[in-house]
Amino acid sequence: MTLRPLPSNSCRSAGCTLTGALSVTTHVRDAITVVHGPQGCTHHNFSLLHATSLDNDQIALPPLVSTGLSETDVIFGGEGALDRTLDTVIARNPGAVFVLSTCIVDTIGDDVGMVCGSKTGVPVIVVPTAGFLGGSFQTGVNNALIALAGMAGPAKGNGRVNLIGEKNLEYEVEENFAEVSRLLALLGLSVNIRFVHDLATDSIASLGAARLNVLRDPSLIPVGESLKERFGTPYIPAYPVGISGTVAFLESVASACGADCRHAVEEERMLRQETIDDFADLAGAGVSFTPPPPDPEGHRAAQDIAHALRLDITSSGCPVPVPVTPPIGITGVRRLLHRWRRALHA
Amino acid sequence: MKQIALYGKGGIGKSTTSANLSAALSLAGHDILQIGCDPKRDSTRMLMQGKLIPTVMDQVRERGAAAVGPADVVYTGFNGVRCVEAGGPEPGVGCAGRGIIATFQILEKFGTLTGDVIVYDVLGDVVCGGFAMPMREGYAQEVYLVTSGELMSLYAANNICKAIERLSARPKSRCRLAGVICNAKNQPKEEELVDEFARRVNSHLVQFIPRDRVVQLAELNRKTVIEYDPASKQAQKYRDLATHIMENTRFTIPTPLGIDDLEALAIEFM
Repeated sequence: MTLRPLPSNSCRSAGCTLTGALSVTTHVRDAITVVHGPQGCTHHNFSLLHATSLDNDQIALPPLVSTGLSETDVIFGGEGALDRTLDTVIARNPGAVFVLSTCIVDTIGDDVGMVCGSKTGVPVIVVPTAGFLGGSFQTGVNNALIALAGMAGPAKGNGRVNLIGEKNLEYEVEENFAEVSRLLALLGLSVNIRFVHDLATDSIASLGAARLNVLRDPSLIPVGESLKERFGTPYIPAYPVGISGTVAFLESVASACGADCRHAVEEERMLRQETIDDFADLAGAGVSFTPPPPDPEGHRAAQDIAHALRLDITSSGCPVPVPVTPPIGITGVRRLLHRWRRALHA
Repeated sequence: MKQIALYGKGGIGKSTTSANLSAALSLAGHDILQIGCDPKRDSTRMLMQGKLIPTVMDQVRERGAAAVGPADVVYTGFNGVRCVEAGGPEPGVGCAGRGIIATFQILEKFGTLTGDVIVYDVLGDVVCGGFAMPMREGYAQEVYLVTSGELMSLYAANNICKAIERLSARPKSRCRLAGVICNAKNQPKEEELVDEFARRVNSHLVQFIPRDRVVQLAELNRKTVIEYDPASKQAQKYRDLATHIMENTRFTIPTPLGIDDLEALAIEFM
């Protein structure tokens, strides 16, 4: 039994397991996700996913279907409702069906695996997502990624790099993707699959072909470990954060791939200096981070940027925004600095 | 209106006791409703000439809650006793506790919960909130424990005391322990043991019912003892029980025992 007060700044340390898993499975383009539970669990998440994809200029509706459990299903067991829903969904011939459980389904003990195992023709993948068992949003993300990885078999190496666990609900998901792609390209590397962002079911098969996995952030380490165990793929635990992250990132990717990064690092140092020069007009200004950055890493990144730009951090300084997730790479830092400049000149 | 609930270990004789009690109360001129709150659905069988009546949950499953009416769930048995079976899911699936809650809501909607006495015959253990339903919301205000002198039976009765203690602490709760019924296995010193147990949990023994072959004979003839052999000593015991329950005014908040105390008590009467 747990007794946890809801933190005022819950970020990714909390949230619903189901929502986390949905942020992954709804990004498999030709698949359908079935939420086995009352319709409200689906509706609530549908709205959230729809709103956040609009923020990222995606107008497609998330492919979600609810088993619509009623009180009668709860009393007599929901396996029949799941069975009927799966038949309807499979008849639409999707690339795959992902079945996500909810709190009530795991309370009454429906055998979701048994029902899904009886279906043929289309892969039907179970992702356990009952939130009351103590998991967070991140648990849902990890469970979904590990379940989806089960669809990939051994594959011939193609020398490319997978991006693992992109934060599909964050505002700058495409910008961050572009920045990491840019850095990989500096080393002559290209992206194999975005696991999982706007991905076709068939592409999952090549998951094991990559020479390296780059995790979005260290909370995905269990996924990185699981993929390492299955396919022998090494991983980098996070995207490059802040003004000094990119050089370190290039070095660790190069070392993992046995590549020479001297030229890439030199170019990156120049870009870093260029950025500092471009924002030289801000030097000497006083800034404050209010409200305080939600996570220590974001705080550290903001401090590093301020020091590099020779800004004064004082409580009486001009309040500048610090995003919930720290800026990724030099381009992330540049976008943040544009916002700081607007705040300072306002 | 008096609302009483019988709780006790599975197989201890709650349904037999309930059915004979309802039969005796109805012959004393009372309007009786007996509700079986166990997915096993056999509480009212002896009042219905051995027939398993359709349960509330069967009706809901087969026809949908909207299509079910009072006549589908209330059946009149021996001497006008109205009988209801809550029923529930197939063993091993779903949530039987929620089925009990849903049954109560349906019976409320139909206005079924009327009469001079309502007898709730409940599943052996209060395994979840659903099976505590008869003790909640002001339904059964008097809970009777049915037990023999066997330790496991006393253990179950003691557990039910814990549920009553917990529920009676809630504001506005009117649920109380009304007494202990000893449905004997004919062990030596059994009456003394159960009497002492009742005292220690802050209650009293309302009726000692000896083991008698006539119960099995009546059952084989699909009748209550009251109907099958009204002149028997056993029938008189059930009539006595009915009288004691109607006259009972001693309703208490129980003081459940620890397992060690319970064992020590059983050893005392070995």
